[in-house]
Amino acid sequence: MSRQDKIRNFSIIAHIDHGKSTLADRLLEATKCVSAREMEEQLLDNMDIERERGITIKARAVSLRYEADNGETYDFNLIDTPGHVDFNYEVSRSLRACEGALLVVDATQGVEAQTLANTYLAMENDLEIIPVVNKIDLASADIAGTRQEIEDIIGIPAEDCPAVSAKTGLNIHDVLEHIVTDIPAPAGDENAPLKALIFDSYYDSYRGVVVYIRIVDGIVHAGMKVRMMNTGAEFEVVEVGRMSPFGLVAANELSAGDVGYLTASIKTVEDTRVGDTVTCSENPTDEPFPGFKKAQPMVFAGIYPADGAKYPALRDALEKLRLNDAALTFEPETSIALGFGFRCGFLGLLHMEIIAERLEREFLLDLVTTAPSVIYRITYKDGTVKFIDNPAMFPSPDEIEEAAEPIVKASIITPTDYVGGIMELCKDRRGIFVDMKYIDKTRAELHYKLPLNEIIYDFFDALKSRTKGYASLDYELSGYEPSKLVKLDILLNMEVVDALSFIVHADKAYTRGRKIAEALKDNIPRQLFEVPIQASIGGRVIARETVRAMRKDVLAKCYGGDITRKKKLLEKQKEGKKRMRKLGSVEVPPETFMAVLKLDSEK
Amino acid sequence: MQKSIGIYIHIPFCAQKCNYCDFYSMPCADSDFMRTYADALIGQIKSKKRLLRNRHVSTIYIGGGTPSLMPPEYIVNILNAVKSTAVIDQNAEITIEANPGTLDGAKLTAYRNAGVNRLSLGLQSADDDELKMLGRIHTKDDFANSFAMARMEGFTNISVDVMYALPHQTEETLYKTLEFVAALEPEHISFYGLKIEQNTPFGDDEEIKKALPDEDTQYNMYMKSCKLLESHGYEQYEISNFSKKGYESRHNKRYWLSKEYIGFGPAAHSFFDMRMYGYKKDVNAFITGYADENALIDEDYTLTNRSFAVQYVMLAFRLRDGVNTAKYRELFGREFDDEYLPRMKVFIEKQFIAKTDTGYCLTRRGMMISNYILSEILDFTEG
Repeated sequence: MSRQDKIRNFSIIAHIDHGKSTLADRLLEATKCVSAREMEEQLLDNMDIERERGITIKARAVSLRYEADNGETYDFNLIDTPGHVDFNYEVSRSLRACEGALLVVDATQGVEAQTLANTYLAMENDLEIIPVVNKIDLASADIAGTRQEIEDIIGIPAEDCPAVSAKTGLNIHDVLEHIVTDIPAPAGDENAPLKALIFDSYYDSYRGVVVYIRIVDGIVHAGMKVRMMNTGAEFEVVEVGRMSPFGLVAANELSAGDVGYLTASIKTVEDTRVGDTVTCSENPTDEPFPGFKKAQPMVFAGIYPADGAKYPALRDALEKLRLNDAALTFEPETSIALGFGFRCGFLGLLHMEIIAERLEREFLLDLVTTAPSVIYRITYKDGTVKFIDNPAMFPSPDEIEEAAEPIVKASIITPTDYVGGIMELCKDRRGIFVDMKYIDKTRAELHYKLPLNEIIYDFFDALKSRTKGYASLDYELSGYEPSKLVKLDILLNMEVVDALSFIVHADKAYTRGRKIAEALKDNIPRQLFEVPIQASIGGRVIARETVRAMRKDVLAKCYGGDITRKKKLLEKQKEGKKRMRKLGSVEVPPETFMAVLKLDSEK
Repeated sequence: MQKSIGIYIHIPFCAQKCNYCDFYSMPCADSDFMRTYADALIGQIKSKKRLLRNRHVSTIYIGGGTPSLMPPEYIVNILNAVKSTAVIDQNAEITIEANPGTLDGAKLTAYRNAGVNRLSLGLQSADDDELKMLGRIHTKDDFANSFAMARMEGFTNISVDVMYALPHQTEETLYKTLEFVAALEPEHISFYGLKIEQNTPFGDDEEIKKALPDEDTQYNMYMKSCKLLESHGYEQYEISNFSKKGYESRHNKRYWLSKEYIGFGPAAHSFFDMRMYGYKKDVNAFITGYADENALIDEDYTLTNRSFAVQYVMLAFRLRDGVNTAKYRELFGREFDDEYLPRMKVFIEKQFIAKTDTGYCLTRRGMMISNYILSEILDFTEG
């Protein structure tokens, strides 16, 4: 048996809560890398947010050793994948680093959407898929039904697939043996020039960037001069090695078929983009590994510290996050309403929420986040062209010759039952139908052209709710198209609040303006005076609501001399008021800015 | 001259808990249990002899709960214990709270003989449907009977509690209640808005919360009610209190004027010698452990000069007369204007706070949003 014959590279695909992390833990345990006592629950998911949201944000990988029933010892490389449309590209790169995937399906729930989307991605990447029916220890488990469903919906044989309980460890051995027998061994050429795919990287303050790679062809070792083929950056490798469950373990070399890491005193993940190909500077490979895309922020929003004095702390925090997240961009901006902050670019709304949450949680910052925007292309009357990512900078209508917005090509894969609902949704979002293909009897793939600004807010959520979560969405930017865009301003007490302005298609301006005015009315507490809320376009008011003046806020009784209680109540009230943002003369809770975004599009 | 003090005595028994009430009380106990409780109270009162010897008692307030549920002889015993422990002013105001329907001639006579000279009757509403909804045990007629009985027994200082902002209450039913009360000419009327408290039946009742009058209606209710009461000769002397001339509640004013008071019984609060403390809300613990003062205490604070000053302002603004700046200077050695005028400015401009001959007070509109105003102008960090 050759060296590569004893390597198996695979990932695990599962719906949230179907037990991906638990299964990963059991695999780690069963391969005797980790004793139950040593093991921290769910080793693969490291970040708090991942655990709470039950999603994997960044890919992780780990190498295991398994002694199979045939007496041979195998190297297993388990590569974890994120699971959201914002990170589709990262998922596809992680999958490209594998030859196979375990598809975990909860025997009490059956096949669900997220599973489908990533399974299709895995199939596109020619991965061998091993279904694993999980949670068979539960009374409501339906093993036969789940197997049937896998065959019917996904179309892969599942008759003999492992049925396990990752929780109790039942039949885990079966899974390990299937990995050996079913997943193909890698078949790279060790003697060819180095060609390695970057599927993840992170910044470590001692080693610099740690680059996770899959060696496709050739060999890499310390001291080798390497080049990132797409960015062109060159480095001298300091160390190579593998990811053990306990951390990085240095090795002499990595060769074709291996999954491991390299370090090369790299200062920023900018230079180690996911999907890029690492090759040897002196003897480069002819072709990079196909499919590289530079992660492009598509969604922009202002992030401001709730407390203006925390601006430097916010800058430091963003800089730290960017070390690990090449897709995050930011530059300083100022808002009349919110003071000093940053205009940040994200892959999508989830990416934005994750960054905001990490800033608040890991850096203890209290933030105000403005409505997300895309980049508009404005051609002025004098012929100059500008790209604008901040609605506050959007020019007045008489200055504009042409306004254009980014359009995406969206591909939605869905069980055929939901085609009608999806078409309705896309139409509502100004989508233009391109075509529809039936993949098989039960699945259809729809193609639409959609304005990006229609999908950044809640399109994915709306899609999920209309398809019981079964539809998957993938999209890529296709260019700019002229559009009837207008800037909608929001006035509080007759003053424009720049942080609340946003760009909208003229046909939708009235409805949006009215909804936003209503949402603001519900979110702004009564003030000492009546506060008019107006939505206006180019100085013309299109919607108006009023927050009535505060009339009653009084404690009637004083509880038999319990003065402390009254005092505490007032103290709490004062504390609550400190969080308020003063917009002109109006005090607004920071949630208001987000509440305005969460206008329910279903209504 | 010796300092004065007010005494509060808590009787935590009720025939039935009202749906809105979060004062400390327990379902009606039997007579033996009440006697045991009264004995514990007496024991506690006597244990405070050292303190009470250095004060003269100007008010006594027996509140609850429903003190009138207790056999009157226990009330008499309790008052006797106070008399034997402390010096009570000749003209001391001695109040007992009573619920309509729990009074009879014998009880009233006993109270009178024990020196009680003020009766506080909880009516809340003169609309029987509203009373039922509140979980009150009496009707409008029960109240009228109790009131007449009290007058016959010689009570010349009676206070009546009325509530507004009740679920399903309309302005019409509210004003009818007030007209009914005013026609009886009690000397004092407490007029307070219902506040939905957590851990009460109303607190978890979404239907009830939905049935509350909206903020603007509540505002109108308050404003019009104040005028209605004034037209009947009642003067407003505090956010929620009205009286005929000379009949302000001296006991309650002690709270607002930051004068000393001492409380007895579970959940009772005290303030003297710059110390504020409250007892745990536990009758049984009180009965078995009243002798061990420290074990009973739930909250205990010693005020600094600064925190006392903040509290003084917080409370004084409840009164019609508001803050007396000369008094403030005398008590705290600081200028009220220096500290507060910058923060009060916006409220003065918008006529929520008014300048008086002696200082500042909330206007009626200001009283209505006093929480907001106080949370803006008070600086708790100082204390």
